[in-house]
Amino acid sequence: MRALLVVGGHELRSRLRDGTAPLIALVAPIMLATLFGLALGGDDDPPLKATIGVVDLDGGEFPASVQREALNTDELKGVLTFRQYPDEAAARGAVDGGEAGAALVFPAGFSEGVGAGRGGQVSVMESPESPLAGVVARSMVDRISALVEARTLAVRASLEAGVPADRVQVFVEENGAAGPALSLVGDPVAGGRVDLAVHYGAGMAVMFAFFVVGTTARSLLTERQNGTLDRMRAAPVPLWTALVGKSAVGFGLALVSMCATWLSSVLIFGASWGDPLGVFPLLLAHVFAATAIVMLVASRAKTDAQADGYTLGVAFVFAFLGGSIVPVYNLPEWLRGVSLITPNGWVSAGLSELAGTGAGPSAVLGPIAVVTGIGVVAGALALLGFRKGRFA
Amino acid sequence: MTPALVCEGLVKRYGDKTVVDRVGFHIDEGEAYGLLGPNGAGKTTTISMLVGLLRPDEGSVRVGGIDVDEDPVAAKRLIGYVPQEIALYPELTARENLRYFGRLYGLPRRELTSRIGEVLDLVGLAGRGDDKVDTYSGGMKRRTNIAVALLHRPRLLILDEPTVGVDPQSRVAILDRVEALVGDGMSLLYTSHYMEEVERVCTRVGIIDRGRVVADGTKRELVAELGGTDRVELTLDGDVTAAADKLRVVEGVSEAVVTGSSSIRLLVAGGRHLLPALLAAVGDAGAVTGVEVVEPDLEAAFLHLTGSTLRD
Repeated sequence: MRALLVVGGHELRSRLRDGTAPLIALVAPIMLATLFGLALGGDDDPPLKATIGVVDLDGGEFPASVQREALNTDELKGVLTFRQYPDEAAARGAVDGGEAGAALVFPAGFSEGVGAGRGGQVSVMESPESPLAGVVARSMVDRISALVEARTLAVRASLEAGVPADRVQVFVEENGAAGPALSLVGDPVAGGRVDLAVHYGAGMAVMFAFFVVGTTARSLLTERQNGTLDRMRAAPVPLWTALVGKSAVGFGLALVSMCATWLSSVLIFGASWGDPLGVFPLLLAHVFAATAIVMLVASRAKTDAQADGYTLGVAFVFAFLGGSIVPVYNLPEWLRGVSLITPNGWVSAGLSELAGTGAGPSAVLGPIAVVTGIGVVAGALALLGFRKGRFA
Repeated sequence: MTPALVCEGLVKRYGDKTVVDRVGFHIDEGEAYGLLGPNGAGKTTTISMLVGLLRPDEGSVRVGGIDVDEDPVAAKRLIGYVPQEIALYPELTARENLRYFGRLYGLPRRELTSRIGEVLDLVGLAGRGDDKVDTYSGGMKRRTNIAVALLHRPRLLILDEPTVGVDPQSRVAILDRVEALVGDGMSLLYTSHYMEEVERVCTRVGIIDRGRVVADGTKRELVAELGGTDRVELTLDGDVTAAADKLRVVEGVSEAVVTGSSSIRLLVAGGRHLLPALLAAVGDAGAVTGVEVVEPDLEAAFLHLTGSTLRD
């Protein structure tokens, strides 16, 4: 233990002396998170005020009911605004120009077709600049589709049961299919409801955890090149002392970095990442996984420059795939699944639960377990690599 | 008395290649042992196994009677290891380097402060201890490198090529210190490219070649193996390779090695009497400009045993 403290103390002094610890652990993540938060987050964040254009070529009851029900939905109160456009071209212009985040187009005869059991088709226009509006519009279309299908099925069943065609609409409405009841199943906007100041703060913290540990990995490789690692290993201490002592400093600095970014987000933007009893264990698990992954990378590197390159690559790829840079809901469908092979993806999902829905610590037990598991596997592989590479 | 070091049957393989092949030798308490061998002979790999940096595939190492594999921490406490490279932090002063490694070796803080002063004095750096290592000359860095290994008063000092890259004056200073340490009773394992260093410092020598110890004994014993063989150094203008080929077939010549662009080293039975035959054998291959006949020495023994020179 005493030897671990000696190695750890030496490593920490080195990091402070060369300035990498304060720069990478504190200044860079806090500054980037703040800049992103100022540019894209805050209370007036456009995505949290989704405007959806409506082109009602139908003029019937169905489009009006859909809008009415959507505005009365608890999840969308105060968030959603509808704006009417005369035709698709006007709606497309509004979406492209940023006036509306998305638009729904109800074709002529839509209500009549649904009433007669023939179904109908609603199209949606989206803009990549307004992710929330797109999410809401798509979920509305999904819900409308379900209603139309149910209504169509009811009408067809009634007709086959012998209800006359001129009475079928009244019959169906009298028996429980009076109109669209738009309840959004679950919470389709959970990801989007996390304030982007929180999203980018957490994203930077998660990404920079890799960079912070990366400085320790680099130092380990530098010591091996300089021969000081062998000199430490030749001392009367266990062979793993240098490796564990240095990794512990990387772990500690990364944890400080994440907590400082979290704190800065709270103090600067007044943003909440959720229940601290859930957030802290999640960050702790991520730091553990990031340390293990970076050490795994370092165990395969031959030089300190190579370790730097590998760490940068892993950190950026994981950050992109895991939603630390671009929100996961903005990624293509097939990439959203991939995000869950990264600790970043699980941390992002966990924070969405905590900050987006106000869930308690129990809601992140799953993400914490998975992220810890990723760390255990990476750590075991790293140890094998380090033994082979004469680090431990 | 328990030997300072005993290693037996050490083997280290990397894939199909065996880089250390059943190496074994011992060092008595207070004895200075030299390990001689050309580059790639397996010296550093052997030393890595002796100091516990590398686990041997076969064989055992005991330091002061303690098995390195069974109790590496206790065994390493008895060893002062000086690696071939300058294993120091250049951005720190010598004193800071010594303090860090001293604490890693478990020296109490108060004792460490006085011990740092002692070892700095011992290596002649008492006046420069507070200067950063990257401001030192090569010789000063080498001396600091050695000082680190002396902090905990080891019973066995292992020096791996300790004078590489230093000026002659610093080399002499280092050898003086090493001789003094051995004189004070410290056991020593010394590897070097420089035959004269080993001859000066060590009482017993092991010659390692292609991963095997091919000879082990005192200088007198190794040289005696040569019998009446002399070393002859020839200097000539011309084709040295062709001349060496011609010299090898002369009766009485056991080895002929090209040592430079105009020099050949020979092992010759009855060297002085064979000189006319040697000069005649060179013939058209070149004009001999110098001949030196050297009485049997360690250099000749090395050539005899390995068929090569140390600086091959």
